[in-house]
Order: sequence, then C-alpha cells, then structure tokens
Amino acid sequence: MDLRAGDSWGMLACLCAVLWHLPAVPALNRTGDPGPGPSIQKTYDLTRYLEHQLRSLAGTYLNYLGPPFNEPDFNPPRLGAETLPRATVNLEVWRSLNDRLRLTQNYEAYSHLLCYLRGLNRQAATAELRRSLAHFCTSLQGLLGSIAGVMAALGYPLPQPLPGTEPTWTPGPAHSDFLQKMDDFWLLKELQTWLWRSAKDFNRLKKKMQPPAAAVTLHLEAHGF
Amino acid sequence: MAAPVPWACCAVLAAAAAVVYAQRHSPQETPHVQYKRLGSDVTLPCGTANWDAAVTWRVNGTDLAPDLLNGSQLVLRGLELGHSGVYACFHRDSWHLRHQVLLNVGLPPREPVLSCRSNTYPKGFYCSWHLPTPTYIPNTFNVTVLHGSKIMVCEKDPALKNRCHIRYMHLFSTVKYKVSISVSNALGHNATAITFDEFTIVKPDPPENVVARPVPSNPRRLEVTWQTPSTWPDPESFPLKFFLRYRPLILDQWQHVELSDGTAHTITDAYAGKEYIIQVAAKDNEIGTWSDWSVAAHATPWTEEPRHLTTEAQAPETTTSTTSSLAPPPTTKICDPGELGSGGGPSAPFFISVLVTLALAAAAAAAGSLLI
Repeated sequence: MDLRAGDSWGMLACLCAVLWHLPAVPALNRTGDPGPGPSIQKTYDLTRYLEHQLRSLAGTYLNYLGPPFNEPDFNPPRLGAETLPRATVNLEVWRSLNDRLRLTQNYEAYSHLLCYLRGLNRQAATAELRRSLAHFCTSLQGLLGSIAGVMAALGYPLPQPLPGTEPTWTPGPAHSDFLQKMDDFWLLKELQTWLWRSAKDFNRLKKKMQPPAAAVTLHLEAHGF
Repeated sequence: MAAPVPWACCAVLAAAAAVVYAQRHSPQETPHVQYKRLGSDVTLPCGTANWDAAVTWRVNGTDLAPDLLNGSQLVLRGLELGHSGVYACFHRDSWHLRHQVLLNVGLPPREPVLSCRSNTYPKGFYCSWHLPTPTYIPNTFNVTVLHGSKIMVCEKDPALKNRCHIRYMHLFSTVKYKVSISVSNALGHNATAITFDEFTIVKPDPPENVVARPVPSNPRRLEVTWQTPSTWPDPESFPLKFFLRYRPLILDQWQHVELSDGTAHTITDAYAGKEYIIQVAAKDNEIGTWSDWSVAAHATPWTEEPRHLTTEAQAPETTTSTTSSLAPPPTTKICDPGELGSGGGPSAPFFISVLVTLALAAAAAAAGSLLI
C-alpha cells in the first residue's frame, strides 16, 4: 500500500478520535493490564488541582456576594439548598461503601454540582467572574470524565439520570436576593467539601487496587489502517 | 442502799458527757465558708454575738490584734492571699468558741482559653481549656458542643481535668462545630466559644521513634527512619505526608525535605564528621495543619578510621632523596602562601625550594634540547 502525506494526517486524526473515546469502549484486549490504578491516581490528582482552584474562585465569589458571606466566622443554619448533593455521610457507612457505590456517589454529585455551577455562571455579574467560573466548569468536566474512566475500567455502568430529576437552574418565584446568595454560598461550600471527600475516597480506592509490575501492551482493533 | 448511788453517778456522768459532746459538736463549730475577692475589705461578725460582746479572734490558732476589731466584729482590709484561713472568735473570759469562718480569698474567673484539635481523624476530636490567670479558689467548667443545631456529648478525659473528647458521627460536614465553655466560681463567672469546620482542626501527633543512623562507607550520608504516630487511627485511608528538617549542631540553619509518602529518607549532603540533629513532622495529605516537631534524633555520619602517623612521615623521604641534595625537609604541606610573609624562620625553606625549582627547570630545558 502506497501511503501519501494526506493519508497519514487522516490516520492520525482518526487515531486521536479513537483514543479520546477509549474509556467508553467496553471491549478492549489488553495484556498485562495496569488496572485502574493510574487513572485513580489521575482522578485523585485532579481533585487536588480543583480544590486548589476552588479556593481562589470561592474567595473571589464570596467577596462579590459581600458580607456576611465573605466573613470567616459566618455560620448560618443549613436552610434551603435542599437539592444540593451532600458530601456528609455517617462514618461507618462511608467506611463500608463498596467501590461501585463510592464511585457512583462521586459521579452523581459532580454531575449535579456542575449543572448548578453552570447556572451560577449565567447569573454572574462581572466578566472576570464568568471567566473564572467557566474555567472551573471545564476542569470539573474533566474530573467527571476521569471518574467515568475509572468506572468503565472497573466495569461499572455510568449512572443514567432519570428523566425529570435533572437539576435545573431556575430561581424560585419567592426567592429573594438574600436567599439566592445563601444558595450560592452553600453550593461553593458543598463543592469544597466534596473535593475533600473525593480525595479521601480515591485514596481508599487506590489502596485497594493492586497495580501489577508488568508492562502494558495495548492491542487495538485496527480496521483499515 | 448501794444500788441508787451508782445509778445517780451514771446519770450525772451521762449528762456531763452530753454537755461536753454538745459543746464540741455545736452548730457554730462547723466553720462557715466564705469567699472574698482579693483586694476587697471584709467584716466578720462573731456569729450571733452582740456588737459590744467581749470576744477574742484567732486565725489558724494565732491571736489577732484587738485593733482589727470593730466591737465584736473582725475587720480585714485589702485582702491578700495570705488572709485565707480559719477565723475563730471566742468569748473573752470563758474561751468558749462562738463562731468559726473559713475564709477563702480569690478572684472571679477571667475569660477561659479554649482550643480543639483532631489528632485522631476521622475518629473524633478533643477540646482543652484553661484560665489565663489563677483564681485561687475552686472553679467548675461546663462544656457544650453544637454541630449545627445538634448537641453532641463531650466525654471527660479520664486523666486530664481540663479536656474532653467528642466522637465524629458524620464526616465531610459543611456545617461548623461550635464549642462553648462556661466557668464559674463563688466570686463570678465567664464564658467563651469557638466555631470551626471539621477539616481545620486536624493536626496529627508528631511522628514516633525517629532514628538516624550513619551509612557505612558513606561519610556524607545519614539514614533516617520513623513511624506514623500511633494515635492516627487509619493511615491507609488517611495517609500522612512528612516534613524532615536537619542541621549540624554547630550551625543554626535547617535544611528541609518534604516527603509525600514512606517513613524513611537518606540525607546525602551531610557534612563529614559533624553531629546532626534531625526532626520530623506529619500532616494529613489534604487537610489540616502540620504536627509539632518530633523528638530529635542525633547522629554523626560514618568516618574513616585515621591511619597511623609513622607511615606518613616515611613516604615523602623516599621520593625527594633522588631529585636533589638540597631537597627541603619533608613536610605535610606542599605549599602554604601564608608562611611567606611571616618572617625569618620560614624564609630558608622557601629559598631552598626556589633553588630546587630553578634547578629542575634548567634540567628540563637541557633534556628538551637534547631530544630535539
């Protein structure tokens, strides 16, 4: 077969597309599988990166909301924001979560949080805030993809959202400006707490997976190359 | 007629005993306790005695001067700590004890200092408190822990009076904890409270069993090992990272190394032969603050055994004897510029070495011309 320059670029593009969708491909012949270890590590690293990013984002956003939201001692009761996914869990329950449930809870939480964040972005008043929020949303999307990759590697199905339960960002009719700000406050707080929890979740998963020392050989079903 | 006499005797004796008993255990004999503020004035009445009753006051068995009396009342001004004691007033003539007061001089409590810490995350945390200045009288403390609106139990520490422990029921909570303490004594009361997030109070205990050892045949290395603190309940799911610092005893500047895992490290830039001091600290990988520094370990890197002096002196003689009869006496230093300016003594060897150099140079030039 006589290859021309144009063909090789086409090949490269196709290869990139295949590799991009790799986590979603169910059947893949791998010998000396490293296991999900490296992708769990990558997910862990992403939670740390996001937590760091969130710290500056939250600081800026809370200053934008103004006092009392940006005061360090602010300790309001948890009213409203009922639909936010809560990171808090009973200690024994958390310890005894099986891997699938642990991963599913993380995936579902971030899906919801991402949706709320996107709504927050739409409402944000300044361009700088919108830029920061958009950047964070992209990173959070990356985290979701990473969690999805781990679940696929372990053979767990991705949770499918039930129709009608998708969180939609519509301010309630009786929602005052103050209550709206309270919701924003709790969203950022919950996001931060989830990122701390995820670091611990993925630590636990990392310890349970045993990465083999053997080298990886990846066999791709190459059609027509 | 003998029978009624012993009966009468017994009756009289019994009555006498009862009177003596009553006198010894009368109500005014149990001291009345009073607390008074340092620096204040106090007037102690002699029980129910009239103002003009003739009484004598004693403190802890020592007589008090009559000029302190205002009638039958004892007046003490500007109370000091030394005034604490048992004050008793006696009927002047009969020495019958009329009244006793146990006086305690002290202060009302100032705002207590309260702090909480979790060195056993995720099991729980503890809070400890103290008063910044002493009150000199007994105090009672009351601690309440609120998690949002839920009241949590703070169990008293079995050994330490000023500490109590709380067990985490839920992890990863967005709601803050509020710990309040109130302290009160007979002269007043005070209170304070602190609020914090679950993650901010995490601070492990320092690493244990820090051991530093020299590495054989490596004069610049020290091998350091340690263990995770035994109070940290779950290092598998909640791994710790470590911070190591070391310096030779003779210097003040520390070197630092941060280690994300493992409980061993080899220092490779130690100064040869110098004793080192090494310490390690620990922190949860993601949350909280660094622990205090561990107990220090000391070690000196491996040094080579020194060689015997006589063998060193012989070696240069055998090599210099063949070059010239004017060879300088064997020295351990080849060239020391510092010696040049120091006067007459060293000038002789220097002159000789210059001659030797010139002679060698001349010999080399001659040899070179022969070869051409």
